Amino acid sequence: MSQEVRLQVIDVNKTFGITKAVQHVSETFYKGEVHALIGENGSGKSTFTNMLTGIYSKDSGKFILDGEEVNAKNQVDANNHGIAIIVQELGTLDGLTVAENIFLGHEEKFVRFGIKNTPAMNKMANDLLKQYGFDRIKASDMIEDYNFEDRKLVEIVKSTYFKPKVLVVDETTTALSQEGREELYKVMNRVRDYGGTVIFISHDLPEVLEKSDSITILRDGVYIDCVKSADVTEDDLRKLMVGREMTGNYYRTDYGEAVSDEVVLSVRNVTVPGQIKNVSFDLHKGEILGFGGLSESGMHEIGKAVFGASFDREGSVTLEDGTEIKDIPTAISHSIAYTSKDRDNESVIMNQSIGDNIVLPSLDKLGKGPLKIQSGKTLKNFANQYARELSVKMVNTNQFVSELSGGNKQKVVLARWVGADADILVLDSPTRGIDIKVKQDIYQLMDRMRKEGKSIIMISEELMELIGMCDRVIIMKDGEPSGELIRSKDMTENDLIAKMV
Amino acid sequence: MGSSTRDMTGKGMSGRTKGLMILILLNIVSWVIFFAISVANGKHNFGRPSDLLLYLQNGLMTATGAVGFYFVMVMGMFDFSIGANIVLSAITGCVLATKFNMGYVGLVGGTILMGALVGLVNGLIYVRLRIPSMIVTTGMALIYEALANYIAGGVEQSLPSDMRFFGSKPGTIILAVIAFVIAYILLNYTKIGTYTYAIGSNEFVAKNMGINVDKYKVIAFIVSGAFFGMEAILSIGYGSSMVAVTGMQSMSRNFIPTMGCFFGVAFKKYGIPLPAILLGEFFVNMIFFGFVALGAPTAIQDVITGLALLIIITVTTRVEKGEIVK
Repeated sequence: MSQEVRLQVIDVNKTFGITKAVQHVSETFYKGEVHALIGENGSGKSTFTNMLTGIYSKDSGKFILDGEEVNAKNQVDANNHGIAIIVQELGTLDGLTVAENIFLGHEEKFVRFGIKNTPAMNKMANDLLKQYGFDRIKASDMIEDYNFEDRKLVEIVKSTYFKPKVLVVDETTTALSQEGREELYKVMNRVRDYGGTVIFISHDLPEVLEKSDSITILRDGVYIDCVKSADVTEDDLRKLMVGREMTGNYYRTDYGEAVSDEVVLSVRNVTVPGQIKNVSFDLHKGEILGFGGLSESGMHEIGKAVFGASFDREGSVTLEDGTEIKDIPTAISHSIAYTSKDRDNESVIMNQSIGDNIVLPSLDKLGKGPLKIQSGKTLKNFANQYARELSVKMVNTNQFVSELSGGNKQKVVLARWVGADADILVLDSPTRGIDIKVKQDIYQLMDRMRKEGKSIIMISEELMELIGMCDRVIIMKDGEPSGELIRSKDMTENDLIAKMV
Repeated sequence: MGSSTRDMTGKGMSGRTKGLMILILLNIVSWVIFFAISVANGKHNFGRPSDLLLYLQNGLMTATGAVGFYFVMVMGMFDFSIGANIVLSAITGCVLATKFNMGYVGLVGGTILMGALVGLVNGLIYVRLRIPSMIVTTGMALIYEALANYIAGGVEQSLPSDMRFFGSKPGTIILAVIAFVIAYILLNYTKIGTYTYAIGSNEFVAKNMGINVDKYKVIAFIVSGAFFGMEAILSIGYGSSMVAVTGMQSMSRNFIPTMGCFFGVAFKKYGIPLPAILLGEFFVNMIFFGFVALGAPTAIQDVITGLALLIIITVTTRVEKGEIVK
């Protein structure tokens, strides 16, 4: 890392309505460094980088890149200034080829007299893919022929082939497998090696410490501190992020508590073609049952299968009273809740208010008379009560969910099911992409619900939270259970990994 | 992987071949059914080589408009003023050619320019007023009909017999082939094509990539309008005259080009949108003529055509399980 300044940020501000997303943030980024940006959900990290990369416009302040002020109007404009971003979600477009995606917005170099030279474009894209070692991806193929992971690799090429001066990696690693992560790290190192600057956003603190040179902490949109990675520990970072010592428990602390014998949900020989085979298990009252495994092990499908959301499911899912769960309405009316791993697309309704999202499954319960007439006041009070109970960070329940950070969206989803008073909760990756403070809130909520006699199925790729929270962990491998571990103080990540691979 | 590469990019034959096979089979099956019925009831008035040429002629005519409309539809927009555009453009071209003595220049230039102008107006109103395209074009259709009626002076406009080159072969084929080639180049070898697919896929991301989404939406409407202008040339050449109908009667001309376009969108996944439009139009025309040949009452024809549309799109569109359809 050199001491030459690459990017200077001076007093940048951004508000959304009355939410002050970024307040008076100033910072200096140097050439040849990986500079991490950390903070809780809603701390303003993504808003900050989105302003830099032209996805949002800033209210005031300056970005000075190599001595010149930049005001990117959109991502392509940012690219032209030498700033690129790899986003958290999918950043490639269906209907276009791999090459068209890589050069989208930069077609000029292949266009002569209005006609696009597709062979030249494909050739250059293939050359680039080869340089990055992604030979198996072909430039002329349609992008939708590839899976999420490969599409992310295409996006990496798209964002870095022109050797950007500043590369923003926004929470991308959580979406990738270990192999994909390694590819991304290689690219980050390459950018650093040629003197570029990587702004690295991640919630994974060990990863942040290992991969970055310096770390800037934001909290509630305000700059807190900038530290050298070599000088701090994970605990130091946590303190800086939360602003105080973490109080209270993180995971459960009890061990050896007996789980009730009462079986509330019984799964027998459930098969979903191409996903899971012959899965059987019982869920007990007051139990937290974990499912772990590699991302493609089929564990995520188990949540859907229990909730009646799988297609072509065989086998049975039966409740204590003998009710068979075959579809979602039956599941909901029998007090089963489900939160999907894909929060934005499958759990929250983005273009509706927090209130609407919370009351959704409880409308029947809240309606009066045989026609279930809805009273605005009742709905509002209901939404307020549960949003407050889950301490959703918001202006009020009329605020749109799309304006909330990932962690707060998840709180809205949970508020919905707490409000619906579900007895069985199926939580798929409940803390994915969420900071430690909200994680702690969710863990505490789960522990409270467990004590109230609610039963929880927790599906997670984070082994530590399975070990910390579950009474029992079933490990999935190639669509089938490969082992089961009972809660114990001595359980380690290696015990789980041994059954996963 | 790599099974569905877009139109002629040189790879992934299997996806394209499969799509073509389905379409060709669809045409053969419907031909066999109608042919058998017409032979069985002793009329033998369907599906002879000369009949097939007639279906092809009509198919080419509507496909000429449909390949332009494809740009609008892929972006997720719609156009209900297709028929009104054809009527207005044809009458404008006819008046320029005859009353203003501009001959073929007036006919071809006037018709295509008027078509493009209608597209421009549709597009501008749609992006400026932020009203759904379906509503904009329905409202505008009434205005275009009235305008056509005014230009025609309320009288049927006829094309003199020496100006009907585009009404039969080889004129129809020449203009249709030119239209397909232009559409193919626009779609595959210009930014317009790339951006059409990008906007259709995710408008927000497209905007973030610096694409001027509103501009390209207007361009799509202009392209679509100009192609309907070309269809209007073929249409008035074939029918030799055009009546400036009012009261939304022009809507009846919307149906066949729109159906062909549905085929294009449905077979986009196979990488053959333009051939699918052509084969789809041939198929739709064959069914129409089939019913006429059988002497089926109009009401029955409409019911069967409507059902056929639903069945075909259901069978040919591969919707993934759980995929949301709107």
